[in-house]
Amino acid sequence: MTRLLRARDMAARTTRILRAVLAGSALLAASSCSGGALAQNTPLSSGQSFVEGSFSSTYFSPGSRPAAPAVKSTLLTGQRFSLAADRGTVVVLNFWGSWCAPCRQEAPALAALARYFPQNQVRFVGVDIRDSVSSAEAFQHTFNVGYSSLNDPRDEVALAFQGSVPPAGIPTTLLIDRTGHIAARVVGGVSYSGLRALIAKVLAERP
Amino acid sequence: MKQNLVNGDPAAGLSGPEQAEPGSGGAGMTGPRLARAGGVSLGAAGWLRWGWRQLTSMRTALVLLFLLALASIPGSVLPQQGIDPAAVTQYYATHPALAPVLARLSLFDVFGAPWFAAIYLLLFTSLAGCVLPRAFRMARSVRQPPPSAPRRLGRLPHAVSFGTATGPAPALDAAAGLLAGRRFRLRTGDGWVSAEKGYLHEVGNLLFHLALLGLLGSVALGGLFGYKANRLLVVGDTYANTPTAMDVFRPGRLVSPSDPQPFSLTLEHFTATYITSGPQRDQPSSFSAALRYSEYYGGPVRSYDLRVNHPLVVDGVRVFLIGHGYAPVFKVTDGTGHVRFGPQPVPFIPVEQAGLTSAGVIKVPDASPEQLGFAGVFLPTAVDVGGRLASAFPAALFPRVSLVSYAGDLGLNGQPQSVYTLDTSHMHKLAVAPVPLAPGQSIKLPHGLGTLTFTGYRQWISLAITYDPGQLPALISAILALAGLVLSFCVRRRRMFVRAQVGAGGRTVVEVAGLTRSDAAGGFETEFAELAGEIMQGLSGSAVGSLPGDGRPGDGDLGGQAGVDGPAVDERAAGAEEGAAGAEEEAAGAQEGAAGVDGPVVVASAAAGRSGRDSPALAEPEGE
Amino acid sequence: MPINTGLAQLSNAALVSAIVLYALAMLAYAGDFAFGKHRTAAAPQARVPELVGAGAPVAAAAGAAAADQAGLAFPADPRDPSELADLDSRQTGQAGDGGLLTRNAAGFSAPPGSPASQSRWPAGAWLRGAFLLTCAGLVIQIAAIATRGLAEHRAPWGNMYEFIAAITCTAVLVLTVAAIRFRAYYMGLFVLLPVVLALAVDVVVIYTPAEQLVPALKSYWIAIHVTAMIIAIGMYIFGAVVTVLYLLTARHERRVAAGQESRAAGIIAQLPGSGTLDRLSYRAILFAFPAWTFAVIAGAIWADQAWGRYWAWDPKETWSFITWLVYAAFLHARATAGWRGRRAAYIHLTGFVCLMFNLVGVNLWITGLHSYAGMG
Repeated sequence: MTRLLRARDMAARTTRILRAVLAGSALLAASSCSGGALAQNTPLSSGQSFVEGSFSSTYFSPGSRPAAPAVKSTLLTGQRFSLAADRGTVVVLNFWGSWCAPCRQEAPALAALARYFPQNQVRFVGVDIRDSVSSAEAFQHTFNVGYSSLNDPRDEVALAFQGSVPPAGIPTTLLIDRTGHIAARVVGGVSYSGLRALIAKVLAERP
Repeated sequence: MKQNLVNGDPAAGLSGPEQAEPGSGGAGMTGPRLARAGGVSLGAAGWLRWGWRQLTSMRTALVLLFLLALASIPGSVLPQQGIDPAAVTQYYATHPALAPVLARLSLFDVFGAPWFAAIYLLLFTSLAGCVLPRAFRMARSVRQPPPSAPRRLGRLPHAVSFGTATGPAPALDAAAGLLAGRRFRLRTGDGWVSAEKGYLHEVGNLLFHLALLGLLGSVALGGLFGYKANRLLVVGDTYANTPTAMDVFRPGRLVSPSDPQPFSLTLEHFTATYITSGPQRDQPSSFSAALRYSEYYGGPVRSYDLRVNHPLVVDGVRVFLIGHGYAPVFKVTDGTGHVRFGPQPVPFIPVEQAGLTSAGVIKVPDASPEQLGFAGVFLPTAVDVGGRLASAFPAALFPRVSLVSYAGDLGLNGQPQSVYTLDTSHMHKLAVAPVPLAPGQSIKLPHGLGTLTFTGYRQWISLAITYDPGQLPALISAILALAGLVLSFCVRRRRMFVRAQVGAGGRTVVEVAGLTRSDAAGGFETEFAELAGEIMQGLSGSAVGSLPGDGRPGDGDLGGQAGVDGPAVDERAAGAEEGAAGAEEEAAGAQEGAAGVDGPVVVASAAAGRSGRDSPALAEPEGE
Repeated sequence: MPINTGLAQLSNAALVSAIVLYALAMLAYAGDFAFGKHRTAAAPQARVPELVGAGAPVAAAAGAAAADQAGLAFPADPRDPSELADLDSRQTGQAGDGGLLTRNAAGFSAPPGSPASQSRWPAGAWLRGAFLLTCAGLVIQIAAIATRGLAEHRAPWGNMYEFIAAITCTAVLVLTVAAIRFRAYYMGLFVLLPVVLALAVDVVVIYTPAEQLVPALKSYWIAIHVTAMIIAIGMYIFGAVVTVLYLLTARHERRVAAGQESRAAGIIAQLPGSGTLDRLSYRAILFAFPAWTFAVIAGAIWADQAWGRYWAWDPKETWSFITWLVYAAFLHARATAGWRGRRAAYIHLTGFVCLMFNLVGVNLWITGLHSYAGMG
């Protein structure tokens, strides 16, 4: 039973073993970020939870919006953050992780949109999931993200949304209107134009 | 039923639900036969009716049972997506041509396949179509009195007759009293008593089949409203029951991401102990995970000791400990001197159980000037066996990490990737001496690309989180099914008939007969002998000697005494189970004169279903 | 707690002794077939004409075959409770399957009528000796299992070696109960044959030293689930052996009835009629099926406790489901016109093959969560 591994063989073997044994194993982390090259070929069972890649948004009409929970946490910059304090501005809450490929893909669009909209009208906040602080900061640096993020290794922010409109995977972007209600949810990576139109729509609403 | 008549089945004509068993098998045959015989074309309704009969026939149910069994086989032979996705992936790699074909036939997801569903839905429809009408018939028949006594009791499978000095009317009263005392349901008529008992047999049978329907419903309930999730949790980390925190989330069809109950738990501590000597050395002897959890965000915090076979139940959700392993902690500094990764535990997955040699990868996408990647193994108790590196024991007694370093493009842009695999197709291997690292040691990468430090390790556990609202209904259904099964096998439905009339010489001739269809576990002979004996004793006292089967567990032995014990009875039984009842009215007793025989004893010979013998089919030896 | 190696060795020795006793019992059963004096042979023979007389129209209608059979096939066997009833039985199924088979099927309630048959205990020195040896072997085997359990401080069915020891034990237990209850002493040779073979393989090939359980198996449900399995499988084994005999006997009867020579004469001719065997196998399933159902349910509850799901189509689960389906089909077939008799018997044996595949094949060729069962 004992499998002896020669140090020299290790690279090749490891890659093979990892692919064969681990790709798509039940322990797969990072739900939306699953599947290696091989796994892409396999028919994932119906249980797979998230829409990946393509821009898929849900807009809630003003009358039927669930209230966003009270989220209080600390930003990577060390400042305190309270969602309730941002009443009067539209808040874009983006759940991401530095390890997540779609998050890396959508990051430039988000960074650009944060610069596009005036800060006193639209506030961008990231929620960094299952990441270390140094990785998060490295990510911010790489993509020149102009807004800060909450470091949330315990998934408390996502948990607070449980029961209303929780992030259904990573990445997920929530739009919260000026009254503190959830106006839209984007599951999967955002596109620049798609998210800009959505934000503009929420901004155009008269409170 | 018509087929029964065709074949001369003596059960035909027996009222009540009993004949449904064989009858339902026959019923299906009638449709097409009638259609052909009559030369009448069936209308759409006729065809529907015929189709429904076919579907609900026993024959179809049998075929469907077999089909379901057959259809399950590939599910056990081929790897299944829902059970072992890695094995499916492996299958794709080894059978690249065949796998897509099998996938198209849903053979990697047999138990979720449409054709599998079609079979069991047909089976359950067939079952419902058979069982529900039976249940209604049963409900009706419970309110009906037993049928009247057949004219010639001697034709029944269990029959005795005897003479007595008591008059017919008092004799019948006495017999009725006795049977009523045994909780038989009675019906009396001119010169006869008819009694029936054992409705629980049919009740059990129906309960079993209805409970199976309940089981299907329960499974469906779980499939619609339940969910399953997995999470690998490193010691010190917190799991929150929300989709982003799950590694795998398998929601039921009607479960939305906001539905999972908002509990959270923190893994404070994990202990695995192993057997350290003897033939089972290296095998784990116990696992224990110390948890702190709260039912909702900000709720009171409780402690729990999570172990194998000892799940945590929180807010109706159950959390299971299903695996464990090591997560070495790494810190990576890039070429610019900034820490771009960690220190962060990276879960490595066991690739071998005895020594828990574990494999994993580290990706540093934000390193510059180049992205960095590492793949390697963690050896809890590293030993060098002639140049080979291995782990000698699953506990971390001498932990070492051996890594291969890469630089280049990790491919982390767009397509989702597993955090456990490293795509090295756009990376180049770095020339680093393959020396195993001890905690605290570093690899300095060439060309000033950076440094990786192995700072230590933590353990992880893997959790299965399940919520299944159908669980309790399924348990109840299963228990009811079992109860129904036992009931239907243990209880027999049986009828007793008594006739009394004045015979030759002025003595009263009493005939007692018994009938059962469902004597699965056997023993009606004994009961019949006892009942008949008591009736006889009550009427003729000492005139009757010891009785057949008196106090004897008579399976098959009973009639052994017939004729041997002299004065008593010649009881002849035939085919208790198989519906000899049909003989009731039609047959002519073989020994009609018997009633006239003098003395207290009369020999009644029964050849139930003798009429059946006359059918030509009987004489044929079994066709080969 | 450490393994008590002394007790474990005692257990090994006891199991070997049990095999020896069973082997001797087999010889004695065979001796009974060969040399046993079936002393009451006269009694039933004397009664046959009488009955044929009584059922004269029957014999006439059913043709000479029936009378021949009653008169020739089993006249000397006092253990056959069915032969007289053969004359009384009636048609149940369809022509193809009816005839002789179902005639016998009716038989058990009618007795042979010999005084000897009133005794539940075996008749004749050979048979008595064989039965005593069987009982002695059974006691020793139970002792072997008990000491193994004491040595390991747990229910001794944690691996294939222990499991086979346990299921053969229940098979012999079922044999002795059936022998006494239904006077099925004639089954001794046929049940002990596979038991001795299985135990020999178990001791020689599959032997596993006494050991502790992995954490996954440390649950009181192992006692409940596996015990129920063991009981059910013991009965299934018995039922399957009876069914094989049934098929042989039925073929023999058909040949005799057709006036052909039956090669199987010898021992088969000394067995009771196929009807008796048919019912005996049916009874075995009537007890085994609910036990199996219970065992599967208990397994589901355990799986639910251990893994968080009560059913996940693990290969073992799948095959116990298949087994359940096929035996359910057998029970239904037996209540369906046209499926009784040989067809039902083949379904019965199919179910048994599925069961055996689940015990052996799944362990050897398919990995799943039950793969700790200890082979390979």
